Amino acid sequence: MRAVFEARRPSARLLLQILVTAMVIPYLFPLVVMVQGSLAGEGWGNYRAVFEVGTIGTFFKSSVIISVSTIIIVYVLTMLAAFGFSKLRVRRKEVYFWMILAALTLPEVVLLTPLFATTLALGVYDTYWAVVLPLAALQIPFTVLIARRFVDGVPDALFDAARIDGASTFTSFRYIIIPMTRPIAAAIVVLTLIGSWNAYLLPLVLIQDPAQQTVTLLPQFFVSQFSNDQTKVLASAVITAIPEIVAYLCLQGLFERGLSAGAIK
Amino acid sequence: MLGSSRIWKRRPLGFAAAIMSGALVLAGCAGGGAPAGGAAQNADQGSADSGEITWWGWTPDAAPAEAYIKAFNKAYPNIKVTFKKLTIDGYDAAIRPALASSVGPDVFDVAPGAANGSVDIYGVNAIDLKPAVEKALGADWESKLAPIGVSSLKNGDKLAALSVGSVFSGTVWINKDLFDKYNLQPPTNYDEWKKVCATFKANGVGCFVQGAAQTAFNEDTLQAISNNVQPGVWEKALKKEVPWTDPTIVKALTLWKGLFDDGIMQEGALGTQQYPDANNGFMSGKYAMVMMGSWYMQYSTVEGMTAAISGAGVADPKPFTQLPIAFPDIAGTGNVGSLYGDADFGLAVNQKSKNIAAATTFATWLGTSAEGQQAVADILNDIPALVSAQPNWDTVKLVNPEAQQPALEKLIADAGKSDEPRLATVVADLQTAIGVASTTVAAGEATPEEAAATLQDTASKIK
Amino acid sequence: MVGILYYCIGETGYLSTLDWDGTSPTPTSVGLQNYQDILVDPIFWQAIWHTVIFFLVTFTAQTAIGFVFAALLHSKVKLATVYKVIVFTPVVIAPATMAPVFRQMFAADGQLNWFLDHVGLGFLSQPWLAQSSTAMPVIMFITVWNFTGLTFVLYYAAMGQIDPEVLEAARTDGASNLRTLVSIVWPGVRSTTVALAMLSVIGALKTFDIPYLVTIGGPNYATEFLGTYIYRISIPSAHVGYGAALSIMLLVLALLGAIAVAARSNRKDGESGV
Repeated sequence: MRAVFEARRPSARLLLQILVTAMVIPYLFPLVVMVQGSLAGEGWGNYRAVFEVGTIGTFFKSSVIISVSTIIIVYVLTMLAAFGFSKLRVRRKEVYFWMILAALTLPEVVLLTPLFATTLALGVYDTYWAVVLPLAALQIPFTVLIARRFVDGVPDALFDAARIDGASTFTSFRYIIIPMTRPIAAAIVVLTLIGSWNAYLLPLVLIQDPAQQTVTLLPQFFVSQFSNDQTKVLASAVITAIPEIVAYLCLQGLFERGLSAGAIK
Repeated sequence: MLGSSRIWKRRPLGFAAAIMSGALVLAGCAGGGAPAGGAAQNADQGSADSGEITWWGWTPDAAPAEAYIKAFNKAYPNIKVTFKKLTIDGYDAAIRPALASSVGPDVFDVAPGAANGSVDIYGVNAIDLKPAVEKALGADWESKLAPIGVSSLKNGDKLAALSVGSVFSGTVWINKDLFDKYNLQPPTNYDEWKKVCATFKANGVGCFVQGAAQTAFNEDTLQAISNNVQPGVWEKALKKEVPWTDPTIVKALTLWKGLFDDGIMQEGALGTQQYPDANNGFMSGKYAMVMMGSWYMQYSTVEGMTAAISGAGVADPKPFTQLPIAFPDIAGTGNVGSLYGDADFGLAVNQKSKNIAAATTFATWLGTSAEGQQAVADILNDIPALVSAQPNWDTVKLVNPEAQQPALEKLIADAGKSDEPRLATVVADLQTAIGVASTTVAAGEATPEEAAATLQDTASKIK
Repeated sequence: MVGILYYCIGETGYLSTLDWDGTSPTPTSVGLQNYQDILVDPIFWQAIWHTVIFFLVTFTAQTAIGFVFAALLHSKVKLATVYKVIVFTPVVIAPATMAPVFRQMFAADGQLNWFLDHVGLGFLSQPWLAQSSTAMPVIMFITVWNFTGLTFVLYYAAMGQIDPEVLEAARTDGASNLRTLVSIVWPGVRSTTVALAMLSVIGALKTFDIPYLVTIGGPNYATEFLGTYIYRISIPSAHVGYGAALSIMLLVLALLGAIAVAARSNRKDGESGV
């Protein structure tokens, strides 16, 4: 990957460094206040208290299972849908596209009551599926919108060339779309991870089994009717956020490598 | 909407969606899951002293719930109760579909008014508990229970839930240690209050803190001031017996404005919320006074106070002596000490439960038995629903028993006598209008007369 | 799934013709009265006005900052990972957790005023959230803080799709950094910008959690949005019919906004599709 900005002289480099640092300060400031808050009062004791809740391992396991399943479903369906909307000739595809997009305007909660009934009818109530399927369905309009724009950017010439070489639609998908869309795939995975890891309402309502509860329920141990231990709530938030940040960093690395490999022309 | 303590509780974990929830569940697909009335109800279902039941609620906290269940199991060892605590914001979203299904909880929390877990909405899913209470307390059961808990938890003629306890407001809590440090006496009138505040300010301590952005708490303060000007007018205005333009209300708004202008209210009060902002300000010793109700009793204990201070972000917390005082006589009329309250929450039994008998046993035990109500009283959270229950002061460890015990005993006794409603049963539109009056006056965007006229105008349109 | 969605929309449409409190067994049908009321409802128009301003400011800020960040971090900047984490982290933190932190920061005795006092800007210090005039900018700041990471991640990905050879060619022709950025990189990520614009329109109309959690729409409706208004009307006030009518308005406006963005982008580059 070639640098977007090229700074050859040291003074220019320094200038860039200063610019980016200045821009990041307003973003850093609230985070510092937050971490400070999580260490106020009992200091690291707040973090210890969160771990002493005892169910944190179970919570993490459930959240990982839910997130990974959701990511796989979203990724596969998004890529297929984006490919279809962008490159295939499907009758009235714009109508379908807008129907999916309209779903973006609805908050998940509108669906809660019908979902409850649906999951009971399907017999998946109180299983991970009850959460994974709606989460995926709610994420897909957003990711399809993003991915479709990205796939639009893949030159049609590539497909024409492939077709002339006798490649099937699936082959084009497998050998052109998948490698070319790695950067956006990483972004989609990250966004889906955020959506599913932070899901609160769906697991709360659709999963009863305490052994399948998710990390987003952690702070509720410290918010009560008559008090609100902000320090431990913040500590819970820090603990919950760390896996997402680590995952983001790993994916960054992955797709930066993917970029050099993906630049097949 | 806002029951007592429930006001701030709707915010804390308001995960985005959770709150939006309510809105669109109602606005959106509520029709699909509307509770099916008239589902088969069978009071004989299950055994009354054995079985497994689940209980859903946004309150109490895990620890008191555990204490209640433990005490319950001493009397009924064969009923296993599992408590599932939901957040305030998630409660309606979760309970509505659950009650409509066949896998809902056996026992669930409800509250008076239109807030979360409204008895008006979910009461239709509950069995009538009157027969069970009659059996437990006898034909004169109503005389043994606090009236505010019974009347506010009815759904039509049905006693849909049993009140566990009530909360009252009208008191100001003070940090006695700070008052002692600067040789101050709790203020009893406006001049004293101003002087106290000036002294605190000169020493870099905040005086009175109010989360005026959370307007339901402004109503507490306004009701106190109004009762100070002329007792009973506020309640009459709520009942539409006098207009909101009554001179008493206008005077109350004028005095309220004075709190902001005369340096009693903290700077930036309109951007502060009562919870956690004002609460943490008081607990961390930054402010010496705060307008809170009977639910603050629990911080009089060493344990409760220590946890609260630590929760406010203070390292190495040292509990201080907090005391309830009457709202100062700022109108100069001598009418002080008014208290007004609501039932905090009640337990309802799901009519679709497969263990109705055991569920009824639990609800009745917690709401009406001496042991159950003793457990409630000892938590110092709610004023018990059973009139005869009193905290066991031998086991409750106060920070400063000498000063605090008499004050708390008096508060509990006075609250038990009060039948003035607070705000849980006031319709939401009116609450909003009162909130607007309080903030526009405080910000100087309307005179007390104008604000009262606007308030009356809105109130007259409410059905 | 789509079936359930459309069932919900239909249901909401039906509810919007009622005068109903959500529990009474006998809702009254009022036809289009709710919609007529909306058109003369000052709070509705105030909320719409707030939403428009809010969208313009937050979208512009997020796009500009996210784009520049992505461009800078695609360059050889030291400690790039640290910067990425800082910009990305706000996205994963629930607004509910941060609301009290922000109220504390912007309080009269909060960290911001403390900072201003210490850098000689003490005259600027004020109770930010307690005044109608400053509450809205604070809400906007928090929103930008919260969502720039998203913009950044997407732009960062999109810039990865730009052909390095084109950049190289431009450089060889002697184009400056700024020139490259404006005439190659910015058009190169246009599809992402359009997608983000559509999301922002919808997002602005649905804005709820940050104003609700931080200021409860106050002081005095200064930070009331369509989302907070619908909530207040439907839940605490239990005017289900009116709330449903507002929800339908939201749906229509959101779709119109998204279509407008799409149409504009189509006209501009003349390609088919959205």
